[in-house]
Amino acid sequence: MKLKYWLFLIVTLSILNSVSVLNGQDKKLNYGKAPDEIFPYDKFIKPYKYHFLIPITFTGAGRELKPPVNLKEVRIGFLGPLSGSLMVQQGEQMLQGATLAMEEANMNGGYRNLPFKLMTHNDVGLWGAAANEVVKMDDEKVWAFLGSIDDNVSHIALRAALKLEIFMVCTGDPDPTYTETNIPWTIRVITDDRQSIYSLINQIYQKDGHKRVAIIRTGARYGRVAFKFFSENATRVGHPIIIEERFSDGETDFKTQLERIKGTNPDAILVWGNAKESALILQQARSIGLNQPVYGSDRMVSPEFLKIAGKNSEGIVTTCQYNPESNNPKLKAFQISYLKRFGKEPDVFAAHAYDGMKLIIESIRKVGLNRVLIRDVLTDLKTFQGYPGVTGNIALDQSWNEIRDIYMAKVSKGKFEFTPAPPLDMKQKRGNSTGIY
Amino acid sequence: MRNLIQKNYFRYLLSGVVLLCIFSMGFTPIEKSPAGLNSPKDDAKPMPVYGHWKNFTTKDGLPSDHAYCVRIDGNRVLVGTHDGLAVYENGKWTTYTTKDGLVHNGVVSIDVSELTGDVWIGTLGGLSRWSGGKFENFTQFNSGMPNDLVYCVICDGKDVWTATAGGAGQYDTYTKQWEIFTEKNAPMHEPWTYGVSAGDGKIYIAAWGGGIIEYTNKTKKFKDYTDPDGEMEIDLLPDDGPVHDITTATSWANGMLWVSTYFGLSSYDGTHWKGYFDTDSGLASNFINFVRAKGPVVFICSDKGLSSTDGKSWVTYKKNENNSDGMTIIKNFGRNDDSTVVHTTKEIPSSPAIAHNFIIGVDADKEFIWVATEKGVSRGELLK
Repeated sequence: MKLKYWLFLIVTLSILNSVSVLNGQDKKLNYGKAPDEIFPYDKFIKPYKYHFLIPITFTGAGRELKPPVNLKEVRIGFLGPLSGSLMVQQGEQMLQGATLAMEEANMNGGYRNLPFKLMTHNDVGLWGAAANEVVKMDDEKVWAFLGSIDDNVSHIALRAALKLEIFMVCTGDPDPTYTETNIPWTIRVITDDRQSIYSLINQIYQKDGHKRVAIIRTGARYGRVAFKFFSENATRVGHPIIIEERFSDGETDFKTQLERIKGTNPDAILVWGNAKESALILQQARSIGLNQPVYGSDRMVSPEFLKIAGKNSEGIVTTCQYNPESNNPKLKAFQISYLKRFGKEPDVFAAHAYDGMKLIIESIRKVGLNRVLIRDVLTDLKTFQGYPGVTGNIALDQSWNEIRDIYMAKVSKGKFEFTPAPPLDMKQKRGNSTGIY
Repeated sequence: MRNLIQKNYFRYLLSGVVLLCIFSMGFTPIEKSPAGLNSPKDDAKPMPVYGHWKNFTTKDGLPSDHAYCVRIDGNRVLVGTHDGLAVYENGKWTTYTTKDGLVHNGVVSIDVSELTGDVWIGTLGGLSRWSGGKFENFTQFNSGMPNDLVYCVICDGKDVWTATAGGAGQYDTYTKQWEIFTEKNAPMHEPWTYGVSAGDGKIYIAAWGGGIIEYTNKTKKFKDYTDPDGEMEIDLLPDDGPVHDITTATSWANGMLWVSTYFGLSSYDGTHWKGYFDTDSGLASNFINFVRAKGPVVFICSDKGLSSTDGKSWVTYKKNENNSDGMTIIKNFGRNDDSTVVHTTKEIPSSPAIAHNFIIGVDADKEFIWVATEKGVSRGELLK
């Protein structure tokens, strides 16, 4: 080709590149490890604005405040379901995990020989109550707090945390929208349903080759948000879900919903709910001849689910935010200490609460008693990035959400077996959102 | 045929490239014009600019430097702080706390009833009515109020509206009854509400995750406005609706509804939505705590300064990081004859500047603007 053609081609390619840059976002990155194939609208149009690619900076005052004198203890708040909620069992595990971390810290000198003290608050589970509890924590002068599990509680607490400027470490709420509020007063150190659902989409449609999937899910926000997310992404990979059925938390008879599902003859069924309801659904599904493969939410990973579901649990596939059977020595030591201290095995909420409380304690030891400085060090994406917890190494994205790789959990011979979630078969043409996982 | 192609090779290549350019532009979003450029004629009044800042802190008598809200009430100014209600009158500050009967010391919102002159005070722990020198307190337990954390309170005739974490509450001061609006009886995704404003016979509720809930007083009907793309991580198209569903405040004046979020600002004239980001307007930051509209101008409380706009021109007040001085930044957007967009920026030093760049509340009258910041309260004079 003649030189003038080469020159012409180079100039043309430069123009095309500048056109695409001018019309698009400054950074071509995917938020939340979303593959291009399932990034919203990505196949059709480039959004005008992407959020959560750059961390929000807290520009408020308070870094200059000196620590109070004559303190007798260093207070850290706890917000969780401790009574009057269906999640009490999980709340107790969370409290015990946090308590163990605090007791260990106190055995190691507390904070400059001052003991840490846990200020425990029940989130009750009613709308709005969490806000009042966070106000109480402000009155108690806690330096930071840990909570909660229910997404409705966590959202309410987070908004109050911003108003009162108390840092909130979330270790139990998997609602993807929790960190999508742009509030720079939280980190979440448990992977969210976004990661679980990407892995389930990959497993159900790409690996196992199903096409017609039915969903039965709780009517609570936990199920509503997850359903929206799963349904949208299933559609994006070409397989809209064929039926959605709902149930209420605490419900025990699911035959009506299951009969409707049976009528659609699905390839597979996805169950999204708490352990008990999920197990009962599984039992009743099998009893009416629904023998399709069943997938579920991570709340299935519990002794309660295995106990109620019995033999029906065989082959069930779900996800787990960590590998409780890992050979990580820290995890082993934690499991031994927990069993010794509380007389039971720790669950996912206990393990993550233990890590979350350790982070709060470490941050106070690093920067002292100043809420803004505690916030700064927990969100700087450096100090605790890669922090080796009992649940794995922490990897936060720019919205301070945990995005480390998760695990698939499959019931085999009556117990869950954990394997790393297979890499998504979908491409990330734009690259990773943060490059840190 | 082959010869013909070879002869016209360059022409075909050129045509192909031109078409490729056109297609590549056609499948990307249309470049958004900076805010307020739909009207070629700019016959609006010039934007008010404030200066001669005077800052107040605990040294001047405030109970706390952390101020949440401010309300001008005739000759006095009411300020809500983390540690009590402060009233500025005749050049002096007076503090009111729970010792005086206030329901909670953390005062986050204040409004004054035009009908009665009563002051309604939203706090971290309930609602107080300050009337005739006495406080009457409302909580979840002693009244039908939805939640004790009152993020916003407004008076609309005989009604008092609150935005709380447990839903919006409407208190009829004649019947002394509360009505609560949540996801069960209003088109909210959740009952978490954070802002409320009134105007044109309507109430506009900022619902966390639910956009804006509009309530028409006459018909008692609701309508909601949400981000059309329905996704948290993007704003798909400019000006297609509210910029995000997580809304923090609303304010209505002069036929325009203004809506703040932690992702940008929106305005709605009853027909068209318009979005504003710090990248395409004079907005100081996309993280907006509160907005208050006064006539054609809206004051925007962001984490990086106080901005104001009439939709065309922008005035932003900022403080330097390391000293008490700052800058007033004036940006005007317009069009050349060939329709290209231009903007001019003028920076005027101010000494002193506003007390702090993290702005949480604002109010203005004909002469003064009062600003609640994280480190004191500022008063600016309208510059002639």
